[in-house]
Amino acid sequence: MLKYIYYLLCIFLCFVSQKLSANTTQYHLTLENNIFTPSELTIPVNEKVKLIIYNKDKTAEEFDSFDLNREKVLFPNKKTTIFIGPLSSGQYEYFGEYNPGTARGMIIVEVNNAN
Amino acid sequence: MCSRMLSIILILFSTKVLADGMVVDKVYHPYVLPNEREFEWRLMSRQTDANSLIGQRIAYGHSISDTVMVEGYLIGEKTETDDFGLQAYEIEIRWMMTEQGELWADWGMLFEVEKNHASNDWEVTTGIIFEKEFGRTSLTMNLFGIYEWGDNLQEEFETEFRLKYRYRWLPQVQPAIELYTGEGYFGIGPAFMGIQRFDGQKQLKWEAGFISELSSSGKDHSFRVTLEYEF
Repeated sequence: MLKYIYYLLCIFLCFVSQKLSANTTQYHLTLENNIFTPSELTIPVNEKVKLIIYNKDKTAEEFDSFDLNREKVLFPNKKTTIFIGPLSSGQYEYFGEYNPGTARGMIIVEVNNAN
Repeated sequence: MCSRMLSIILILFSTKVLADGMVVDKVYHPYVLPNEREFEWRLMSRQTDANSLIGQRIAYGHSISDTVMVEGYLIGEKTETDDFGLQAYEIEIRWMMTEQGELWADWGMLFEVEKNHASNDWEVTTGIIFEKEFGRTSLTMNLFGIYEWGDNLQEEFETEFRLKYRYRWLPQVQPAIELYTGEGYFGIGPAFMGIQRFDGQKQLKWEAGFISELSSSGKDHSFRVTLEYEF
């Protein structure tokens, strides 16, 4: 019984220890005709950002990026949120798994000049 | 910060308990994708001075929502005296509790029910799955509580702790260190995982690890392989 209580305590503390991501800056991408717009998006270094992708196409796409360590289904005619970062400066590629030839883009992480 | 450190310390100390059979298995990640379907095969081999044991699992999984994956397993085992045979069935539910990257770390939960094929013996497992990114590396931890009962099992509650620290070098080659504890077992060793994408959602994932038990002086090595085909 003590082990069980101990176990529940661990779970509780894990949740309590989480910090909610308030004031996360939002950035927007649009997927239309299997093309991400803008194709290059600049975000600040060492900052977590909220990427909102609006899939205007009639079919689902899957956002995939090994660089960003993210994989997310983009449902048709819906907005999807992906949290990325904090990242060090550099270029991070992503693509759509269903249309990798056209649905491609890049997140550019810079110290200044985030758009 | 203090409560976070305290929880990690509690987790690490809570692993001084145990589990029967093979402790080395797989370190679960908390992520689930909608519309995901997969076939999975696992091989676990453990060799000690006195014994050797090989276990295999085949599974089919399907995500039933944006955050919940259900997987059914057939489990086979082979010992030095017995040939391979169906040992047990298992149903597993994995729940992605938080959006990846939204919070300080990503969290999930696992629920499993396993029944022995030939006897009235049961095992229920539940626990938490944790993953945290540090640049190009990821720390994944599992803490499971296991309750066993049945005609041939002593009723008991056990815990297991698994840890993987992975460097995301290339999609196909991601070296890692894995650690497993449970019932006096403390094993650590090198591992790797990789992924090869095909058309659409089709992709093949692989994992392998070679874990050596450190708390005893004799030979105790475990080798594990996992293949997952997602479509």
